[in-house]
Amino acid sequence: MAALTRIDVHHHFVPPAYKAEMNKKRPMQPCMQTWSIQNSLDDMDKAGTQIALVSITTPGLYFGNVEEARKLSRLCNDYAMEMARNHPTRFGIFASIPWPDVEGSLKEVAYALDTLKADGICMFTSYGDKWLGHADFNPLFEELNRRKAVVYVHPHAAACCLNLIPEVNESIIEYGTDTTRAINSMIFTGASHRYPDIQWIWSHAGGTMPFLIERMVNLAKIPQVAAKLPKGLMHELRRFYYDTAQASNGTALQCLKSVSGASQIVFGTDYPYRLSIEHVQGLAGAGFDKDELAGIDHRNALRLLPRLAPLIKA
Amino acid sequence: MASPHRIDVHHHFVPQVYKDALIACGDKCPAPGYQPPLQNWTVERSLAEMDAAGIASALISVTTPGIHFGDDAAAKKLARQCNDAGAKMVADRPKRFGLFAALPLPDIAGSLAEIAYAFDQLKADGIGLYTSYDAGGTKFLGDPKFAPVLEELNRRQALVFVHPTSCVCCTNLQPSIADAIIEYGTDTTRTIASLVFGGAAARYPNIRWIFCHAGGTMPYLIQRFYDFSGRDSAAMKAAMPNGMMHELTKFHYDLAQTAHPGPVGALRAIIPVTQILFGTDYPYGAGCVDQAERVAQCGFSAQELAAVDRGNALKLLPRFG
Repeated sequence: MAALTRIDVHHHFVPPAYKAEMNKKRPMQPCMQTWSIQNSLDDMDKAGTQIALVSITTPGLYFGNVEEARKLSRLCNDYAMEMARNHPTRFGIFASIPWPDVEGSLKEVAYALDTLKADGICMFTSYGDKWLGHADFNPLFEELNRRKAVVYVHPHAAACCLNLIPEVNESIIEYGTDTTRAINSMIFTGASHRYPDIQWIWSHAGGTMPFLIERMVNLAKIPQVAAKLPKGLMHELRRFYYDTAQASNGTALQCLKSVSGASQIVFGTDYPYRLSIEHVQGLAGAGFDKDELAGIDHRNALRLLPRLAPLIKA
Repeated sequence: MASPHRIDVHHHFVPQVYKDALIACGDKCPAPGYQPPLQNWTVERSLAEMDAAGIASALISVTTPGIHFGDDAAAKKLARQCNDAGAKMVADRPKRFGLFAALPLPDIAGSLAEIAYAFDQLKADGIGLYTSYDAGGTKFLGDPKFAPVLEELNRRQALVFVHPTSCVCCTNLQPSIADAIIEYGTDTTRTIASLVFGGAAARYPNIRWIFCHAGGTMPYLIQRFYDFSGRDSAAMKAAMPNGMMHELTKFHYDLAQTAHPGPVGALRAIIPVTQILFGTDYPYGAGCVDQAERVAQCGFSAQELAAVDRGNALKLLPRFG
C-alpha cells in the first residue's frame, strides 16, 4: 500500500439509522445504500488518504420538523464519533447541525466541538430561500467565530432551482451555482468580513465562483459595496479554502488558482459519489507542480486542522 | 488604440421605441427593468465607444429584460419596432453595425413570422434569443416548445446570438447581489445543457450558435458535464450521436464580462480559439476600451488575438470584410 499522505475534507458517511429514516422519505441513491465504513477505508487506502473528515450530504437533516432535525443531527454526530473513536487515525468529524433551528444548532455546536471534539461544522449552502450570509445566521456565526471554527459547506439544489431542465440532473449545474451564491452572500452582505475567524471550506472548487470573478470584481467597485469590504474582495476570497471534489481537472483548478492561489486548495473527493483515486489521477494532470500538489494533498489542510499533523508522514 | 478592426458581437442598442416600452411597463417590467445604462444610450455614444476601442463593426441586439412582458400582441409589435429601428441603424452605417433581430418568444407563430421578416425584408445578420423564457414555467432553448423556431433557424443556417436573462426561478434571490453577477452566467450554462443533453444541438446542426460571457459557467463545470454525458449511454447517444464535445466545440463564445485570465484559460482548455469572439456588452460592463485592453491581457498570442478580435467573427459575418 502506498504511503498515506492525503487529507480528504469532502468525504461522506451514511449512518444506518440515518439511511433508514431517509429511505422512508425517498430512497437514497445506490452509492448511499451500499456505503460502509470498510468501503470508505478501502477507497481511502487505494488513494493514499490518511484521514477523511466525514460529513452528511444531501438531503441533509431538516425536513420542516425541528425535533426530527435535532434527533438526526445527534444521531449522525454520535455515529461519526464512534467511527473516529474506532479509527482515530482515519476519520475526523465535520458535525451536523439542525439549522434553521437556532437554539438547537447552538447546542449541537457546543456538543460537537466540546464533547465530541469534532474538527469542524458542516453546513449547506442555503436553507430555504436564505443563503449563508443572511442576517438569520448571525447568532450562529457569532458563536462559530468566537470558537474560530472550521466550517465546511456542502451544496445542494436550492429551493428556487429544482427540476428546471427535464434532461439534466440538478447536480450538474445547480450544486455549483448554489456554492457561488453562498460565497457571494458571505462576501457582499459583509458577513465574511464581520466573522473573520470562521475558517471556511467551500466544496467543488468554489462552485462556479472563480469563473464569475469579473462580475464580482465589478460589483465590489461600487462604493456602497466596497464599504462592506474594508479589506477588499480578494482578501476575503483568498482566505477561504476550496476543495477539489468533482473538479480535479486543470480547466477548473487553474482558474480557481488564478483567484485563490494554490495555497487555498484542499483535497476532497465526494466519496461515495466519486472514487478518491479518480481525484488523485485528475490532480496529477491538472498542471500543478510537486510542491503545490503536496499543499493540496495535506499541507494546506493542516493549516486548518493542525491536530492532524502527526498523522501525516510525507 | 489601434485602427478600427475589432468586431463586437455583443453590443446593445436601445431605440426610442424600446425606451418607451420599458417606461410604459413600469413596475410590471421583468428584471432588471429600465436601468441607467439603457436610459443613457444613444447611437452617437455607441459610435464614440467603438471608435475609442478600435471597434470597426458592432452587432447590435436588444438586451434584458427582452421584449415579452406578458402579452403576445405587444411583444410582436415591440419586436417589429425594435427590428425596424435596428435595420435603420444598419442602413445608415452598413459597415459599422449589423443586426441580431429580436423575436417575440415565447410566442411561436409570431416568432416564425419575425424570422422571415428579419431575414427576408431587413437582411438581418442573425437572430437574438434569450437563454430562457417564461412559457407556462421556465423553458430553456432545448425545450420541445421551441422546436419549430429552431427548425426554421436551422433551415436558414442562421447565426443565433443567445443572451442571458434572469431566469424566472432566480430573479432577486438575494438583495445584496444583482442577478447579473451569478444568475446570468448560470442561465447560459442551463440553456447550453438543455440544447446539448436534450438533443436539439445535434438535431439542428446548421444553426450557428453564439453564447455570451465565455459560456456562462459551463467551462468551469466541464467535469460534471463529462460525467453526466457518460452516465446513461443509450439516452445520451440518441441526444448526442457525435458526442458532447462535438457540440460544445461547434458553438461560439464571446468574452463579454469575462476577460480575465482565469475564465479565459478555462474556456480555452476545452474550446478551440477559433470559436472565441470579441464582445463588450456595451452599454453594460466597464466600457469598450477597458474590454479591448483586458482581452489583450488574457494570454492570447498575437495571431490568436487577431482571430478573437476579428478573424473568427469575420468567418461568421463575411460582409464586414
